[in-house]
Amino acid sequence: MTLEALPWLILFLPLLAAVAITLFFQKDEERSANFSIGAVWIGFALSAALLFFTAGKAPLETAVNWLDVGGLKADIGLRVDSLSLLMLLVVTGVGGLIHIYSRGYMHGDAGFSRFFASLSLFTFSMLGIVLANNLLMMFIFWELVGVSSYLLIGFWFEKPSAADAAKKAFLTNRIGDFGFLLGIILVWATLGSLHFGELETALKNNPQALGALATTAGLLLFCGAVGKSAQFPRHVGLPDAMEGPTPVSALIHAATMVAAGVFMLCRIFFILNVPGSMALEVIAWIGGFTALLAALMAVQQNDIKRILAYSTLSQLGYMVMAIGLTAPGAAMFHLTTHAFFKALLFLGAGSVIHTLHHEQDIWRMGGLKTKLPVTYLTFLIGTLALCGVWPLSGFYSKDSILAAAAEHNIALFILGVTVAALTTFYMARLFLVAFLGPAKSDAAEHAHESPSVMTVPLRLLAVPSAIAGFFGLEAFLEKFFHPAEAGHATSFLETIFAPFNHSPLAAFFGLFAVLLGGSCAFSLYWNATRDVLPEKIGLLSRAMRNRFYFDELYEWFIARIQEALATFTDAFDRWIVMGLVRLTHGSVELTGRALRLLQTGNLQTYTFLFAAGVVALLYFVLH
Amino acid sequence: MSLLTAIILVPLLTALGLVFVPRNLRFGVRLIALASSALTLLLALVLFAGYDSAAAVDGFKFVQQIPWVESLGISYHVGVDGINLGLVVMGAIVAFAAACCSWEINRYEKEFYILLMVMTGGILGAFASLDLFFFYFFHELALVPTFIMIGVWGRGERKNYATFQITLYLSVGALLALAGLIALYLQSGANTFNIVQLTAHLKDQPLPAKAQQFIFPLLLFGFGILVSLWPFHTWAPLGYGSAPTATAMLHAGVLKKFGLYGLLRVALPLMPEAAQQWVAIIAALALGNILYCGLVAIRQRDLNLLIGNSSVAHMGFCFLGLASLSLIGVSGAVLVMVAHGLLAALTFGLSGYLHAHAGTLQMDQFGGLLRRMPFIGAAMVMAMLAGCGLPGFANFAGEVMVLFGAWKSFSWVVVFAAWGALVIGAVYMLRAVRNLLHGPLPEKWAALPDANLWRKLPFALLLGALLVLGFWPRLLTEKISASASGIVEMSNAGPERLLLKKPLRPLPVRSTAKTASQPKAAE
Repeated sequence: MTLEALPWLILFLPLLAAVAITLFFQKDEERSANFSIGAVWIGFALSAALLFFTAGKAPLETAVNWLDVGGLKADIGLRVDSLSLLMLLVVTGVGGLIHIYSRGYMHGDAGFSRFFASLSLFTFSMLGIVLANNLLMMFIFWELVGVSSYLLIGFWFEKPSAADAAKKAFLTNRIGDFGFLLGIILVWATLGSLHFGELETALKNNPQALGALATTAGLLLFCGAVGKSAQFPRHVGLPDAMEGPTPVSALIHAATMVAAGVFMLCRIFFILNVPGSMALEVIAWIGGFTALLAALMAVQQNDIKRILAYSTLSQLGYMVMAIGLTAPGAAMFHLTTHAFFKALLFLGAGSVIHTLHHEQDIWRMGGLKTKLPVTYLTFLIGTLALCGVWPLSGFYSKDSILAAAAEHNIALFILGVTVAALTTFYMARLFLVAFLGPAKSDAAEHAHESPSVMTVPLRLLAVPSAIAGFFGLEAFLEKFFHPAEAGHATSFLETIFAPFNHSPLAAFFGLFAVLLGGSCAFSLYWNATRDVLPEKIGLLSRAMRNRFYFDELYEWFIARIQEALATFTDAFDRWIVMGLVRLTHGSVELTGRALRLLQTGNLQTYTFLFAAGVVALLYFVLH
Repeated sequence: MSLLTAIILVPLLTALGLVFVPRNLRFGVRLIALASSALTLLLALVLFAGYDSAAAVDGFKFVQQIPWVESLGISYHVGVDGINLGLVVMGAIVAFAAACCSWEINRYEKEFYILLMVMTGGILGAFASLDLFFFYFFHELALVPTFIMIGVWGRGERKNYATFQITLYLSVGALLALAGLIALYLQSGANTFNIVQLTAHLKDQPLPAKAQQFIFPLLLFGFGILVSLWPFHTWAPLGYGSAPTATAMLHAGVLKKFGLYGLLRVALPLMPEAAQQWVAIIAALALGNILYCGLVAIRQRDLNLLIGNSSVAHMGFCFLGLASLSLIGVSGAVLVMVAHGLLAALTFGLSGYLHAHAGTLQMDQFGGLLRRMPFIGAAMVMAMLAGCGLPGFANFAGEVMVLFGAWKSFSWVVVFAAWGALVIGAVYMLRAVRNLLHGPLPEKWAALPDANLWRKLPFALLLGALLVLGFWPRLLTEKISASASGIVEMSNAGPERLLLKKPLRPLPVRSTAKTASQPKAAE
């Protein structure tokens, strides 16, 4: 077996599992879970093998032609390089743990097999994005990811809120995809190819090849990321997506799908980063703005999953900002560490929700420290990592973003530090209220730890959440994005303290933000039984809780306008266009009726008319 | 006898044979019709397997030509190239599925199946014909049963009005097209109805510009009305909403594509100069289909009206692809024709199933059917997703090709068309899924049965075909583009020819046309 076969296996095994489960094992829960979990773990093993065998070699590419008409050539082609390998490992590794966890979490659900089939379909789609070697294939899997997340969010489709949320999530994605597709067409029409390698060569040879369209093309492609990674102004969909089962939130809305936008931007970074393009500037600001906005929203949410969802939005904003600051390496670094600790946090939240019989309000939790020791401890690690406490993973990745900001744009640096403080504040709030303090409900009093099928993934995720920061990931990514500059080997201890040598400003401000946010949260929420913040900041708190009314605005702007347009068109169609048809119908019928009056069948009338005609004719002729 | 002739004759002879079957043998009638359409399908698949674009004569394979009226140049002449191959096979698949879905008919079964078989034969004949006379004749042969079937076996209060409207519209469309085809025959001076000869003839001696400008609109609007070109579309949703399932499947799926096929095979390549003047208008009208009818679909409460409007909207992509006059766009248009044929049949089949069991298609009365009917529900979700252009289904490949192909000539139209495809389509398709399949199940539908193995067959077949072409569009696109390149080349030949032969332009246009046509009339 050649090396080329491996990526194909990695990609298609989950699809195979999904098809097999759907067609043959709908009733066999045991087997469907095994297939689904097996497919993704084999994928992980093969990805690791690929990493081992391709280390230090040129990127591996393998393709079959999908479409070739005229000048439009699109392959289903797989590209294995450092970027896709890292992402493969994240998707199959983190995804694999979530698969296992789901087995416990979904136990006893009527749609158990359907859940695993959808999970495998999602994995397949996600791996397609990761492995794609051209824009059209990426778009294909982009769409498939959209639809599998639709299926997963709407998994409990009988619940109206879940069904609506699924619909909304799909539409939100679709609006982004609209821009993405136009961007793809534009790039293809100007540069004549869809293949990443060919495009890169074309732009390297002639950086001005996109000409005046560079900004437009870049921003259109960015639209896709805006939709998938839920950046402003498409950020309204993600929290609704929490309607799905919690493992889905962890898999899709923390570790993988939402990261696809960031991954895509890294993949097409060479198109964005051309001279004369303003795209990166816009991207940086949108990312920064989303980070701030989402962090503010998270401060006043009470649903544990929603807090994590807004936090995800905010962290995605960081990553997008990093790309805008021409630091895709930092973005991918943060993406990876974030995948670990956010999946951990979501699964931990799921464990709490599971044991409290689907209670999601943090003000009805509390005192879980002793009752859920494993969940408590791992959640703590996740929280600290997310806040960016040295030496946990989040510190390093966030630091590399802040360092990039300090270097390029001081306004965004200040914004980034503010967001870091807010992050610590809301995460500390969540942790203090939900896990510490007195138990605030009966269910919380009688909570007990989840089964080991759920806690083992938590333990396993806690490890990389803690140590992924100084594991050489950054160097691995730097080598990919800046092959020329890499090469200085550093010792282990040096790596741990690297941020302080490298960019002390960013590192110290980052830690200062953690301290500030943390101490504020402690003073307000230590042993608190109710939220006192609303009294202190009043109106602002309400705006935060109501997400600054963006949902309403969105509802009004998108839904109403489209709806009004549809109503108008429908009325027009019904009354004007159909009216014309009816008019034709009516006038023909009227003429028919009028003519019928003449044909009475009465001989006298005919004779009379005949005679009258003769008289009239004679009169005209003789006159 | 060519395989193609056999494909056309099987259903027509079955219709003839059914006349002699006693009417109380209801099951027998149905069985014969099913067997016959299964045989047709089998032959069509053999045809597809045996097609090899490289080995085609004159670009066509499975050709059979029998002279009929030699003085007028009419002959029975059939053959397939990459363009109509897919349409014939798709037609046979849909015809079989339609026959399977006809179990809901419970009165005058014999007459129904006779008409169904005539319609099938007519459809397959129309797409296989390479002679303008038979091309038109077969279409009419299929069209007339449509009216009768809606009028007799149709449903709903507005059945009569729907029948009236569809008859009026389609007859006018067909007449306009007929006038255009006759004018083309007379003006060409080739004294033949043979499309192949006509094409070769007009390639060397193009029609005078005046004649083109007069004939092209006739064909455009004649064929256009048959395909529900905006704003001549109102017959379609209502007509399909009132038609019996099989008729809606066959007409929306296959017969409707006749107009597009006519535009592609006749109007565009034979009148390139006029075509180039009209393409901008076609593109604009296509946008009317995509956006306007898409928005109308959003507002529909009746599932069949929603599907009908969405089917009209999808026709916009075919028009846009044809208007692009590029190989990518035209090939994409043909692929959309095939894909949409399968999809329309699938959706109308499913809605027919629902109607037969529930007696209504008002979407607000349903909900949560997915739990009750896992197969039908899942098939419907897949159909709806295919309808909003999800990759993996053939529609996506076709629509993407159209958008790519049309970008160079009509960038702004593509922008709006993409919005229609990705967003508007998703809005109404997901709304249908939400209303029908998601949410709580009302108690009155607690006894709705899911499909049994036999009822599943047509849906599985159609879905399978959509998926195969979606995963592997090259199966068709290679054949299509090989045959379409000639047509695209001819359609684009106008301006250069205009420049090259400039001295020839001032020739007295009308008199040449007359001298060319008069001797024929004298003969």
